[in-house]
Amino acid sequence: MREPTRERGTEPRNPGSAALVRLVAAREISARVRDKNFIISSVVILLVLVGVLGFQVAVNSGNDQTRIGIVHDDVALEEALDAQGAALHVDVTLLALPDEAAARTAIENGDIDGALLTDGAQAPRLLVEQSADGSLQAVVQGAVAQVAVAQQLAAAGVARLDVPEVEVTALDPNADEHGQRVVTAIIGIGVLYSLLILFGQFVAQGVVEEKSSRVVELLLATMRPWQLLAGKILGLGLLGLAQIVFIAAVGVAGAIAFDLVDIPGELVGTAVSVVAWFVLGYALYAAIFAVAASLVSRQEDLGTVVMPTSLVLIAGFVVGIQASANPDGPLALITSFIPGLSPLVMPVRMAAGSVAAWEIALSVVLMLAAIVLVVRLGGRIYSGALLRTGGKTKIREALKAERA
Amino acid sequence: MLEFDGLHKSFGDNHVLDGVGFTVAPGSMFGFCGSNGAGKTTTMRIAMGLVRPDAGDVRWRGRSLDQASRRRVGYMPEERGLYPKMKVGEQVTYFARLHGLDAGAAGRASDEWVERLGLGARRGDAVEKLSLGNQQRVQLAAALVSRPEVLILDEPFSGLDPIGVDSLAEALLGQAREGVPVVFSSHQLDLVERLCDSVGILARGRMVAAGTVEELRRREAGRLLRVVVPDSAARWADGLPGVRVVSERAGDTLLELADGADDQSVLAAAVRTGRVTHFAWQQPTLVELFREAVAVPAPQEVAA
Repeated sequence: MREPTRERGTEPRNPGSAALVRLVAAREISARVRDKNFIISSVVILLVLVGVLGFQVAVNSGNDQTRIGIVHDDVALEEALDAQGAALHVDVTLLALPDEAAARTAIENGDIDGALLTDGAQAPRLLVEQSADGSLQAVVQGAVAQVAVAQQLAAAGVARLDVPEVEVTALDPNADEHGQRVVTAIIGIGVLYSLLILFGQFVAQGVVEEKSSRVVELLLATMRPWQLLAGKILGLGLLGLAQIVFIAAVGVAGAIAFDLVDIPGELVGTAVSVVAWFVLGYALYAAIFAVAASLVSRQEDLGTVVMPTSLVLIAGFVVGIQASANPDGPLALITSFIPGLSPLVMPVRMAAGSVAAWEIALSVVLMLAAIVLVVRLGGRIYSGALLRTGGKTKIREALKAERA
Repeated sequence: MLEFDGLHKSFGDNHVLDGVGFTVAPGSMFGFCGSNGAGKTTTMRIAMGLVRPDAGDVRWRGRSLDQASRRRVGYMPEERGLYPKMKVGEQVTYFARLHGLDAGAAGRASDEWVERLGLGARRGDAVEKLSLGNQQRVQLAAALVSRPEVLILDEPFSGLDPIGVDSLAEALLGQAREGVPVVFSSHQLDLVERLCDSVGILARGRMVAAGTVEELRRREAGRLLRVVVPDSAARWADGLPGVRVVSERAGDTLLELADGADDQSVLAAAVRTGRVTHFAWQQPTLVELFREAVAVPAPQEVAA
């Protein structure tokens, strides 16, 4: 056996708390990004997101665009087509074509959806590949009718027709915009809920893994329980934050790129608030999951201890969805202040725009207070329970062991 | 000096340690023996700060062990603990860093120890894919990688095959030669006898015997006499004054002599019963010393 060479200048130092927490966090991240479950869940979330975007694009683009070729220049008809398109919310693109043969080629090539042929006396004909879809036919029919009526009126000597314009008064001119913001918030808390559950599980599994593999004894010989806990929660939290920021960025960029929203600024605001609430929600739930997990020694027992917390999360998600329908109802109002539920309800209320600044501040303060409480009390339970293996540790025993 | 001083610990009504104390000199190996549940693991866990003692102290170089100085202790817990899905090399590096080595030094030390313990080819494998013996080596590498000043190992030899035992023993002797005090617990008393400079025997939370194997032997020597008379009459030694027959099998008799009993009269009695082929004071093995030390005192002694 070869003796290890004693290196100069590399004597071990005594790492401080920050260094230890950083080491633990770095290990968590590097272990997790190589974990199959993490990779699969990330890909699934991304696919769902892309799917939702794609669906929205497909739904929105279905009927609102039509390309019409026109043989023979006819200014009146072109204007009528444009006007009709605007009235029917159809984006009309016109293409002038020299003759019918060119029109047929253009249709076969898919350059236009249909070609309108008007040769003087003959009734106008619409050439299409197979069939004219609703918007194409409506636009063309309306335009032709309008032109015909105008011509006949002119022939009859009526130069100008007074048609009273209907005045439209909107009761809620921003309804559409609100709707978009609420939908964004629902998608946002859906992502937030999924990530809270996912990363809460990661934290819980990590704690049990250390207990069941007994590596925790070796770890605690070099650091204090709180340093281990902090490193684990921070490491996974950074990963979770990176993921939700990435999802938010892809979602927002996609929505803007495909023109799914009217006011991008509002969308960005909602996305930012969801990310901020994720940070608060994660801090609370990760601490609770970690403490719960520290009470058991085997992965099989994990379900029973994390279930109560998971149920609270599910309840929060359901209430959040409900709040989107009725953001000013008493249920949404109360739950938006309850720590643990607030991260899933407040973003919806904020998106609906019915929240005063002091309400948000109060909700955040209550949440922070809950986090402090959980971390302090939970930290003691965690310290006391970590080295107790075999079976399930009772919270009271853990607190007693911590003092012993 | 590594000093364990007056350690007391109870879990509820269960008094696990009742004034355990011993010292280990730098460069010496201390074998820690005792029945299951005698308190060896609790003693070591106290040294590592995993259990708080009710009273007593563990000192290294005259100062109580604290979080900082424990970082200079290499520790192997009784229940082996490693991250099952982490790679061997990364795992050893991680523990080196937790013990205060910077990234570069930790990486080099990890490579070195992994290589040295014969795990070079398995460096990139997850620990859970290794055999139990190899996992044990990784555990040892994790304990040694930070060049500890003190080694505290709980049952390091359990579960190893004879080759593994030899290479671990070699590694520990190497550490002791470099001046590291090594404390390890073991039930393999022959191994303790072979490796250790001194031995402590723990029973019912107390050190019932401590010292070099020689010292312990001397204490017990002069009491057991082995006499072999192949064709002796049965029960020939019964009734000799001050003599108790410990065992008798096919002419091979083990006798315990009370203080002041005359060994020459035993010899004379043996010669009378047949041809004496062996007559000598018995060197007690550590196993016998251990049995003697941990034997539960007779009930009347407890009552007294």
